[in-house]
Parts: sequence; C-alpha cells; structure tokens
Amino acid sequence: MYYFDHSATTPVHPEVSELMDSIQSTIYGNPSSIYSSGQKAKSVVENARRQIAESISAEPEQIIFTSGGTESNNQVLWYMLQNQKKHVISNDIEHPAVIKVLEFLKPFGLDHTLINVDSDGIISIDNVKKAINPQTSLISLMLANNEIGSIQPIKTVIDIARENNIMVHSDAVQCMGKMELDVIGLGVDFLSLSAHKFYGPKGIGILYAKEPKNMSSLIIGGGQEMGLRAGTENVACIAGMGLAAKLATTSIDKHINSLLEFEKQFKRGLQTFFPNAIFNGSQVNKLPGLINVSFPKHRSDILMAKLDRVNIAISNGSACGAGDIKPSPVLSAMGIEDTINLSTLRFSFGKSNTPEQINYLLNQLKSILTPE
Amino acid sequence: MSRIIVGMSGGVDSAVAASILVDKGYEVEGIFMKNWEEESEFCSAEKDYKDALQVCDILGIKIHSINFAKEYWERVFEHFLEEYKNGRTPNPDILCNTEIKFKEFLHYAKDLGADVIATGHYARNYHNNHEVLLKKGSDLEKDQSYFLHGLNQHQISSAIFPIGDLEKFEIRKQAKKLGFNNYNKKDSVGICFIGERNIKEFLQTYIPSKAGNIVDQNGKILGEHDGIMYYTIGQRKGLGIGGGHTNQNGAWYVLNKDAINNVLIVGQGHNHPALYHKRLKASNPHWISGIAPKKHTLNAKIRYRSNDVPCNIIELGMDNIEVEFKDPCFAIAPGQSIVFYDKDICLGGAIIESYSN
Repeated sequence: MYYFDHSATTPVHPEVSELMDSIQSTIYGNPSSIYSSGQKAKSVVENARRQIAESISAEPEQIIFTSGGTESNNQVLWYMLQNQKKHVISNDIEHPAVIKVLEFLKPFGLDHTLINVDSDGIISIDNVKKAINPQTSLISLMLANNEIGSIQPIKTVIDIARENNIMVHSDAVQCMGKMELDVIGLGVDFLSLSAHKFYGPKGIGILYAKEPKNMSSLIIGGGQEMGLRAGTENVACIAGMGLAAKLATTSIDKHINSLLEFEKQFKRGLQTFFPNAIFNGSQVNKLPGLINVSFPKHRSDILMAKLDRVNIAISNGSACGAGDIKPSPVLSAMGIEDTINLSTLRFSFGKSNTPEQINYLLNQLKSILTPE
Repeated sequence: MSRIIVGMSGGVDSAVAASILVDKGYEVEGIFMKNWEEESEFCSAEKDYKDALQVCDILGIKIHSINFAKEYWERVFEHFLEEYKNGRTPNPDILCNTEIKFKEFLHYAKDLGADVIATGHYARNYHNNHEVLLKKGSDLEKDQSYFLHGLNQHQISSAIFPIGDLEKFEIRKQAKKLGFNNYNKKDSVGICFIGERNIKEFLQTYIPSKAGNIVDQNGKILGEHDGIMYYTIGQRKGLGIGGGHTNQNGAWYVLNKDAINNVLIVGQGHNHPALYHKRLKASNPHWISGIAPKKHTLNAKIRYRSNDVPCNIIELGMDNIEVEFKDPCFAIAPGQSIVFYDKDICLGGAIIESYSN
C-alpha cells in the first residue's frame, strides 16, 4: 500500500512495536501493586512519563496519561465547569473533540464563543480580543489544524490571555514530530497529544497540565495518575508512546526536511498536469507534509475510489461513519463553497514515504485526472 | 466481462450477490451508495456500511462509498413530494432505479472501470437474439421486476442480478455459512428513505397538511381528514369515522381523493363497487425492449406485490395507453405504476393516471 494519510494515523514504529510486544509478554504486573512485578510496571510507566515530558520540555509531574487526544480535550473542558468563570473561547475549525464537547457542556452552564477563521484557516487576534468577556476562563485553540495544517498564532493569543488572566489549552495532536513543541516556551496551560499520530500505538495519549495540582479527574475511580485519571494504566501503550515521543523529537529536523521535500515534489508535479488544483489553507503557516487540495470538476469520493483501486490511501475532508463524504466544516468555515469542498482530498506524508512513492502517486493522479 | 462492481446496501441480498460473483472468479468490487442524508448528525447509514464492510472483508474485495444524496433529492424525492401534493401515490423506488442505481451508479461504476454492475435484486435478465429481457426472480414472493420495469436496453444489458435464481431462505443460509453479520437482518420494507418511520409523520415535515372533509359518495360530510396526501385509495385503517367490523355495512374505505376540492370520498365495505374498475389510463409508457409489445393480451400488476391480472391494452400510444382488465381491479391508485408481463417476462409499464368502468 502507498500510504499518504499520516494525519489520520501513522504506522507504529518498528522499535515501538518491538518494545510493546516485549512488555506485553513479560511485564504483566499492575503498576499499583507493590511487589516487584508491579514495581517493574510502575517504572516502565514512569520512564515513559519522563520521555514524554522531555519531548515537550515539561516536567514528568505535568504529564497525565489518557486514552488519547479526545479524552485529553474532554478533561480540560469538563474541568472548566468547576471554574468560577464559565466562558470558553474557541474557533470554527477545531476538531469535534473540542466543538462538540463545548456544545454538550453548554446546558451545564459552560458558555462558549467560536470565533471565525479567515480564508487561510487562521484566526484573527482582533476576534480573540473581541470575544473575551469577564467570564472567560479558557481559550482552546488547536496548534495546527488536522485537515489543512494551518498553524494558529498561539503565542500572541497566550500573551493576550495572560493579560486577561485566562488559561490556554491547545490541541496539538497533529504536531508532534512536525514542529517544535515546547510547552514552557509556548506558555500553554494545557496541551493534548495522541500517540498514534507520531508512530506510537492507538488508544493512548497525554494531557499536559501546567498546574496539575489544580486539575481534576474526568474518569473517576482509583487513585492512578496522581488522582487525575482513574483506571489501571495501559502499560505497554504508555511505554510505546514514551519511546515514540523520544524517537519523534530526536529525528525531528530530518523528518521535517523530508516532509518539506515530499511536499515540494508533490506540489510541483501536480501543477505540471493539473494547474487548476487549489491548495487550501495557509501555505506559509502550516504543518509540513500536509496538503489539502481541491480538484475542481472532480468528485472526491470518485477520486478516492480510483486511488484506492491502485492501493493509494489518502483521505477527504470529513468522512462520516458510513464512509461517505459531506462538505468539510473546516473548509466551509474558510468560505469554500460546497462543490469545491466536495472535490477536496488531503494528502499527508510521513516517515514511510519515499520520493519514488510520491512519483507513483503523481503518475496515478495524472492518469485519473487527465485520461487520454 | 471481468470487472464487476456490486451495489452494496449492507443487506443480505447484495452481500450474497457479491459472494456469488467472487466464487465465479470475477474481479469484484463493492460500492456503498448513500442516497439520503439524515437530518440528525448521527450517521444512521453507519450500521449498513459496517455490515457491507464486513462482507467485503470476508470476501476480500474492495469497497468504496459514493454519495448520491443530491441527485436522489433532485430527481427522485422532489418528484415524490410533487406527486403527494397532487393527491397521488407515487412509487419512488422505481425512479430510484432508473435515475440513480441504473444511471448515476452505473455511470460511476463504468468510470471506475466496471464492465457491468450487479445488484441484489430478485430479478433475472438474459439475452434473446439482439435483445435483453427482464424476467421475474425465481422467488415469486420476493420478485422485484416491478421496480425494474423502467430500465432500458442499455441499462439492463449493463447489469447482472446474481441472486435472481435463488430463494430468500437460500440467501440467508448462504450468508450465515459465510459468516456475514447481516445474515438475519430484517428485510427492508416500504420506501427506503422512510424506513420504519410512520409515513404520515415523515410527510408532515415536508408538505404542509391541509385538513378537509371526509364525505360519502352523495357528498354527505362524515368527518374531517388532516390532509388527503396521507390516504391511499383502498385504504381502510385510520379514517377515524368509526364503522369498523361491528358496523353491519362494513368498514369504511377510501374510494377516491379529490385533490382540487381537498375532499376524501369514502364508502363502506371491501366490495364497494366504486373500489373496482375495469379500465385505466396510464401515461409515459416505457418498454424495456424499446418497442411496444405486439401482443396486447397480457398480465399486469397495478402495484408491487399485487397478483398478476389478465388485461388487454386497448389503446397503445407513444404517450398514453388504455388498459382493460378481464375482471374489475381493486383500488387502482393514480401515481402507481402498471407493469406488464408476458408470463414471467417483464415488458415495461406506465404511470396510472385515471380509471373508469
């Protein structure tokens, strides 16, 4: 298979899966048990916590293991119900794991404002300022968008938030390994990550919390994770995520360069035979290797079927559970009309790709888009 | 003929259709068609898609998903509403075949390199000289040729119906043997986009209802209806004017719908003479072969699953036909299709406009 859908998920790094296999088969103790096999499991978990912390310049105590980005986002937003101030600012192109949670929490008393993005998929600082009211407790802003890769001006937003005594959460699941993640430098209060987006296993993620003491648990039960996430730890996945984070950060420059090369090769190649291609979202402030392209006069479901035929895996805006395509709310929020919206594909390159694979992709696209 | 694309609904019929083609050694792919968008964000087609996915996984074939909701809305659903507004009883499943499954789906399947398409319809087709004929499915209980009578030679020669020779119980048995999750799934009933919902509630969301009088044949007011579109000629239940089994003159039946005056005309008893007619006029005749039949003494169905009744086409034009039945026919409903058969060969049909004696 030719896999160009790394923003959906990534293949597990071989070293990661080897480590996980060995942990699954040898370390079965419960990290909460005090005998030696429990201790061993505990040290695996804590080692991973340190690896993750180092990869984002945090302290181990600031890392809470969760089941993934969705849970991490939920934990932050549900926690806001306990804050005295009950207004959250977010934006139109957040992942449903933020927008739908906010909609769900509204009747429970958590108000929110979704600010608009411009045609590049980027928020305006003025709109953030306008949305702030005395009740605002949190700004939740994704670091980079999952469909178009646009990177938000989070540093400026954090400066404004500080002046107004507002906390900032960032959903950064798309970013690990593709841009530097330094929670101290950024100054965020919360950050969500998911292992399967950086060559780790699925079903595991973290929530970084600057002040975990003030935080509360979403999943209630045992006292794991300093009382911030009940439930027996998923030891092998946690270990796998720790190693994946370490691998992603040590090879980050090389990885970013190869993603940029793939991107350049793909864009240039595509424009030679399909000059009508529309590249959506900011092409300057965006994640490397993620390209969102509209193919006017072509239907994305048909294009996907044809590419699947030649074993190419890519994705379209927002597939629903029935596999069919609806106009992407992200593209709609950027002002893209439905017919163009429904002619859009997302290509996201990654570690498993080679220049030869990009050529194969281009050749197949050429024969599909420009049949003789 | 090598590559076949199967329209997969997530149901057991199309699943077994695909498995038969795989067994025969064809290069098979599935397409899951979505023709209807639910209002709620919850994707109700998800279960169907998962079932189709599981089947394709077992068979080791690819499945793609294509959305024809816009085309369906414009070419099938708007017409469906229009017919109801005019007090008629349309059959959208016939249009769905001619406009969506055997037009849009066929077009895209060919675009994807299919030589022919296959569906899980209970029907058969075969070449006879230079013509392709449509034949009833072997399982007469399930026969769906009625819904396919609007196809033309191009459409019908581009399709195969792998389960046309099989009985439903054999399909389910085969699906169970193959480990398909949907082997015991309920047959879909009624109009696909309405599903299990109440048709009245469904229509209410699209067409404003206009209350009016229920009268007998002499114009005597017996009660009030909440919109004549909710009633079909020959309907007994739900009139709300009493006279059920206990009434000595028999239950009330809808005899006729006067759309212009918004009046529902009713009469008592299943044998009420106004429910039986010997003749009907129908428009837009369509013949699968492309030419009108030479033989005019045929059988016909005036609705899906009605018995075949002997009839004679007494007037045969390009735009209109007139049919006389051997015996008077119960509850002829304008908007439905009359479909003609010569033994088990489906010849075509027309849309019922009016009836007389």
